[in-house]
Amino acid sequence: MPVIQVNGKKVHIQELNKGAAETVVMIHGMFSNLSVYYFNIAPVLARRFHVVLYDLKSHGMSERAADGYDLDSMTGDLRALMDVLGLDKVHLVGYSFGALIGLKMAMHFPGRIHGLAMIEGPDPADDRTRGFMDAYNRDSLEHYFNTTKVRIGRRQLERSHRMYEFLFSQTSIKKDMLAERDLFADARLTALAHQPLLIYGNRSDCLEAGYFLKDHIPGAVLVEIGGDHDLPVQAPEQVAAVLMRFLVGETMTV
Amino acid sequence: MDTVTINQPAAAAIFDLLKQFITEVIGEEFAEEMDIRPSSSFTKDLEMDSIEIVAFSEKVKAHFGAHIDFTGWLSGMDLDQLINLNLNDIIHYIQQCR
Repeated sequence: MPVIQVNGKKVHIQELNKGAAETVVMIHGMFSNLSVYYFNIAPVLARRFHVVLYDLKSHGMSERAADGYDLDSMTGDLRALMDVLGLDKVHLVGYSFGALIGLKMAMHFPGRIHGLAMIEGPDPADDRTRGFMDAYNRDSLEHYFNTTKVRIGRRQLERSHRMYEFLFSQTSIKKDMLAERDLFADARLTALAHQPLLIYGNRSDCLEAGYFLKDHIPGAVLVEIGGDHDLPVQAPEQVAAVLMRFLVGETMTV
Repeated sequence: MDTVTINQPAAAAIFDLLKQFITEVIGEEFAEEMDIRPSSSFTKDLEMDSIEIVAFSEKVKAHFGAHIDFTGWLSGMDLDQLINLNLNDIIHYIQQCR
């Protein structure tokens, strides 16, 4: 398992097609891990690009951290990871909360990225995620898994429960999320130099955020694909194909 | 349709290896509780989650190296296929690549 040291913490990474000229760094969402890209989407992009996947702190197989879940810390982690890997400038792809990390990176450190693709980036002012965190308990987790396609065993339920328990009761994640409410109101959003690709599910609760970003970021392109917020799992081939077209288009202008 | 000839002793050796990888990923304590068989599916029977399957895949890739395109093979599968994937599928795939 490739693990590197970033900002004093162990970070699990996966790299595909290391020899390629340009790099795509892919950021997963909150409560998820790099496997959301690993099986279907990353291998497609790796036909052309060097692809780097990493687990955010306390997620997947990366080391736990008590704090630093705000977007400034998360972009700090990303830049440190790029430095460790010797990557000066990359294409960024982010999903859900990872899309917001990508957006913050584009707003604050535009020189470090060729471009940005956001998949299902939510509006941080939307209270639903925090509602989920506040209402969380073990029964709700069990109920959630019982309603999804993958029926989960005892061991997995315990693993997931331990992660949520840790994040919600022993870290600053709730407070840090609250501090990001005004991200979409930041003047840097409308002045963004990059023209991001926005990929949203046509039945997603986050689609409104997609429309907002398309209307407020100059040159942003919105692509709707059949599905909801779980789009990368529901339609990985389509997501990969749209990403590939966008990234190849970007390389023409690099 | 192609006919695939399964070499039984080789299949048994690959199974033992895959079982060892699974044990390393989920831990000996849990692996002992599981009845790991060639027909065991990763998600339903062995209760492995996606990041554990990533760790398992990395072990397969590290062992068989350039002989097989394991990630490429997995990337052709949809969610249902990944959920139903069992050890036999992988044993057959590895044998085909040899």
